[in-house]
Amino acid sequence: MGCRTMRAFAALLQTEMLIFLRDRISLFFTFLFPLIFILIFGFVMGDVDQPTARLGLVSTTAESQEALADVLAKSGVDSVRTFEGELELREAVFMRDIDFGLLWNGTSLEFSYNPNRMQENYAFEQIAAGISDAFNLRAQGASPMLPIEHIHVGTEASTRWFNQMVPGVIAFSILSSGLFAVSGHLTAMKERRTLDRMIVTPMPPVALLAAIAAVRLVIVYISTLVTLGISILVFDLSFSIAWIPYTLLVCCSTIGMMGLGTVIALVVRKPSSAGNVANVMAMLMLFLSGVYFPIEFMPRFLRTISWALPLRHMAEAMRFTTGVADMAVTRFWIVVACLLGLGLGLFPVLARYVVRPQRS
Amino acid sequence: MKDILQIARSHVVSAIRERITLFWFLIFPVFLLVILALIFGQVGEEGEITFQIALANQDAVSSSFASAMIESAFVEVSSSAAPGKEPLFRLRRPGPGEDIEAFIEAQLLAVRRGRLAALIILDAGSGESLTTDAPSEAAPAVEVHYSEGNAASGMAVSIIDQILAGIDRGMLTQAGAFDPGASIPTHKAYVGSAEDEAPYVDFLLPGIVVMGFFMNGLFGIPGAILFARDQRVLRRYWVTPLTVPRFLAGISLGHLALCILQFALVFVVGRFALGATVNFASLSAALVLLLAAATFMAFGFLIASVSKTANSGMAIANILNMPMMFLSGLFFPIAGLPGFLRVIVHVNPVSYLADNLRASLEVGAATYAPLVSILVPVAWILVSSAVAAWRLKWDVGR
Repeated sequence: MGCRTMRAFAALLQTEMLIFLRDRISLFFTFLFPLIFILIFGFVMGDVDQPTARLGLVSTTAESQEALADVLAKSGVDSVRTFEGELELREAVFMRDIDFGLLWNGTSLEFSYNPNRMQENYAFEQIAAGISDAFNLRAQGASPMLPIEHIHVGTEASTRWFNQMVPGVIAFSILSSGLFAVSGHLTAMKERRTLDRMIVTPMPPVALLAAIAAVRLVIVYISTLVTLGISILVFDLSFSIAWIPYTLLVCCSTIGMMGLGTVIALVVRKPSSAGNVANVMAMLMLFLSGVYFPIEFMPRFLRTISWALPLRHMAEAMRFTTGVADMAVTRFWIVVACLLGLGLGLFPVLARYVVRPQRS
Repeated sequence: MKDILQIARSHVVSAIRERITLFWFLIFPVFLLVILALIFGQVGEEGEITFQIALANQDAVSSSFASAMIESAFVEVSSSAAPGKEPLFRLRRPGPGEDIEAFIEAQLLAVRRGRLAALIILDAGSGESLTTDAPSEAAPAVEVHYSEGNAASGMAVSIIDQILAGIDRGMLTQAGAFDPGASIPTHKAYVGSAEDEAPYVDFLLPGIVVMGFFMNGLFGIPGAILFARDQRVLRRYWVTPLTVPRFLAGISLGHLALCILQFALVFVVGRFALGATVNFASLSAALVLLLAAATFMAFGFLIASVSKTANSGMAIANILNMPMMFLSGLFFPIAGLPGFLRVIVHVNPVSYLADNLRASLEVGAATYAPLVSILVPVAWILVSSAVAAWRLKWDVGR
């Protein structure tokens, strides 16, 4: 970079930072939006305050009490609460004070579920099937012939789905921030004709792009740290962060997504439309990249589509650098290189076709 | 009346012409309906979901009865898919002459990296443990390696456990230690008024309809008023004989038409593409839908009245969108919420309207008392209308 470019860059850097800090809407979406995500999903899906499976029990007979207690102790339920009668049990299931109920009357086992908890009932039914199997064996004095041992081999930090979701949300915030940085900001400058005025000065387009990218990089990096910090403080999550790969991933992802935003800026002229297109792209990727729902639960054609989405790879790489999931090191560096390549490959296009005077 | 109809028509036409609006009002609800139905509607269903697992039989040399039985059971599950369906498991086994230790090492790494849901290792001594008098004291015969943080891994393990339990019972029966005929019967029941659990898509469809109405009111109404105000379109209206109440009537009528269009599209996709059976043809359901459209429309007026510009209005709508949608029980359970978030759930009209609609369609038991689930949305309509009447400005500031 020449001296002129450097001077222009320094001036633009200061201006861009001020613009960003004064723009309350951008500040909100960069810092608070991921936090709202984390807080809502942490409390809704994180099982922070509640154990995962709470069973309510009503036993109307003294028969096989000890065997039942023994079976329940080994069943995988987190707590067993005893109720006086069936009505109280059903009320507790309905009010979600417990997750599912068991009525033992000496001749049959009746498991009761809340019909409004469709997404969770499958897991409760699995536990119930285990209880029923074990109790049946105990009732006939038999012991399982196949001793089964379950061994967790994942990373130590990763024991809850929410632990995996936080890096995914961080990857999503990088994606949306990067997409909006170019598409929203540059198209707004174009619409207000600020860009036209800047272009007739000796400022090289690359200085403007570098200033936008530098400000976004700093802001996005701080935002990811704030999100991680809050999730650790509020939800007691643990991460084992590899700082150098993490920093490189955040930087390359931001640059890559800004490059992707170039495509939007090229196609869409109005800033509100550009923001909307970026929003639609981000939202579609959010649902198909395994940030909310495990990719394995999706039908095969959606799993195939997810491979083509950068957010999937960003989320998986982010899980790897935060120590909640494993990944082949080679694949991680390929992801980082591809994201960087995407940005660097599209920036010249941006400089040539977007940062130029409007035809009127 | 003609002017009201023209305003209504222009509201609908401009919403349909704007591709982004079209996406959020029509495409997004349908997309979400299809995605959630495909993902959660088939959890655990054979043929719709598949898990990659591996099995290493270290007992293959002695070829014990148990290990051969377990291996063949998993081979059968992994190859028994109906035409056009996927098998429940895709099974990897060591190839002929492949080093089993190296195979296990590679598969364990795959489990850690999330490429494999689980690895089953049948120990060399598993055959022997069957003949001992105290099998529980024998060395572990079956090891199931999995990753706790991986939801697919957790689900695969629960299915593997069921298959193993079935094999275990079969072996006990053969050994004369268990009589299946003397089993204690197990029943399943649902609490509340529902006798059975409705199909997931039936549960989801009313939620998506309410979400669509919510987004329509949240973004559509402030967008229509504020953009028209900022672009000085409203100012031009006021020099014509059109009055504010007639303009509002037109916007409301247009909003209702959009809601009907949205409902029709979501219903058709839910019914004919996803096989929903829920029946909306009842007076109570129609009344709840009308109440939902009115509540979210009033809410839209409230947002328009507290926003200085169209952009700030859209920002406020965006800020409110997610907390109100996710803290309502529309898609995710809200049982574990702490007190301060429960307050949002209890003042959130979406919670009451979704609950009320599902109850009126008999696809879920009502959580709130019927009167409360009507009164809270009505209170929102009254408060929003009062604030809008007081604060909403019909022209840009000079």
